[in-house]
Amino acid sequence: MKALLRYQTALLLRSQRWLPPLLLYGVITGIGTQSGQPLLDSLGFSAGAILPVSAWLVRVCATGEPPAARAITQAAAGPGRVQLACTITAFSASLVLGAAGTLAVAAISSPYTDDHTQPVAVGPAVAAGLLALLACALLGTAVGTLCNPPVLRRPGWPIPVTALAALLVLVASGSPANAAVSGLVRGSHTGAVHPPILPLALTAAVCVAATALGCRLAARR
Amino acid sequence: MRLEAVGRRYRARGPWVLRGIDLDVPEGALLRVEGGNGSGKSTLLRLLAGIDVPTTGRITGRPRTAYVPERFAATLPFDAAGYLVHMGRVYGLSGRQAAARTEEWLERFGITGFAGTALDRLSKGTAQKVAVAQALLAEPELLVLDEAWAGLDTAARALLDEAVTERVAAGGTAVYVDHDPRRLAEAAPRRHRVAAGRLTDGHGGADEMARVVIEAEGTGEPPAALPPHSWTAGPAAGAPGLLRIRVPADRSDAALRALLDADPPWHIRAVRPTGGTSPSGAVR
Repeated sequence: MKALLRYQTALLLRSQRWLPPLLLYGVITGIGTQSGQPLLDSLGFSAGAILPVSAWLVRVCATGEPPAARAITQAAAGPGRVQLACTITAFSASLVLGAAGTLAVAAISSPYTDDHTQPVAVGPAVAAGLLALLACALLGTAVGTLCNPPVLRRPGWPIPVTALAALLVLVASGSPANAAVSGLVRGSHTGAVHPPILPLALTAAVCVAATALGCRLAARR
Repeated sequence: MRLEAVGRRYRARGPWVLRGIDLDVPEGALLRVEGGNGSGKSTLLRLLAGIDVPTTGRITGRPRTAYVPERFAATLPFDAAGYLVHMGRVYGLSGRQAAARTEEWLERFGITGFAGTALDRLSKGTAQKVAVAQALLAEPELLVLDEAWAGLDTAARALLDEAVTERVAAGGTAVYVDHDPRRLAEAAPRRHRVAAGRLTDGHGGADEMARVVIEAEGTGEPPAALPPHSWTAGPAAGAPGLLRIRVPADRSDAALRALLDADPPWHIRAVRPTGGTSPSGAVR
């Protein structure tokens, strides 16, 4: 598995196909957060922004190898393990990206509530922001897995379906990613930090289930 | 490795590409799969290699596997050596082993000069050599070759023939598809034909033929008259090297004679029967 992860990571980094998702993340966070804005609002924004980006990264990893090279890797390591390595690589990349974004946002934001009256504890706020980020990255990875090969193989469908699904789970009330983000934003009104524990548990479960499905279907063509 | 009642179709209620395939693939077997275009040869090979799973039935006991596709137009962001080292690690080699075997196989194929060339800038033939090298450097227990010879030059074809024979002589299994009916005929493969989704024993009688494994020790070069064989030279000049050969039973006498008549003569360590038709498909 270590060798597979190493191979997939090298494939992702050298292909430079990580660049468009990185730009998307940079642009969304750049538009949505500005220096001196309330900390928890900005953290919520940068956490939410990672969701479509992580879904895109899953697509990048899932389609990174040409079919012949993929067949060779699958014969060597088993299709399920290859798929798992792709998913873990994409997820790790979105965590690195998101953590960098979250820390940058935390550095430039103002640690006060949105009416600039009450202070917000920076440590707990950043910790909650990172947890929300984790929840969004998990759900984004699940969306990316469910909307791309090997789960969704119909040509032409994966990109629009991934984009729509990522948007939907971000804005739909009841979605754990939405709950994690709005938890932070609500905290920005009151000054109380709510760590998104329940959304995190839910998204982790969804991500594990989606990954398991992807690995199961990886050998299907 | 065993295939039991294996069937494959790509869509629910679609046509069956393969159906009711029962196949025994014993260790040390060399299997040739024949059939027309679109007959399901490649699907069968993909199932054997574990890239694809059967819709019905099951496949058990797959050993460590390597696969060589027919066309390896790799638009991967690696150079040839980098890709081979990565694959070597995926096959479970240590970094150092992978690097050493990469060097060895690049040299055997005479493409050491392309070690640092990006894969997508290699010619078709050189890229195919890389695809073959990644499979051989792993010394797999099961080697699956889907027209792997296509695009290779004559020397590389001969090298691949030799390498496959070596793997089989060393107890590995190889399954291949190739358009050349004489491909590896010397090594007496079991022939299977795919037609209308079914698998039948091929013609030519080679699969009914028992084979004999001969192991011999000697200090000289192996006699030139021998069919393909695996040969490990002695650790130093003059020290005995080990030779293994697998020949059809009706040609074992000739092989033994060649070894014994050589100057200096080879010492025969073991002669044992293998292959041939028996209830399990082979005797080992």
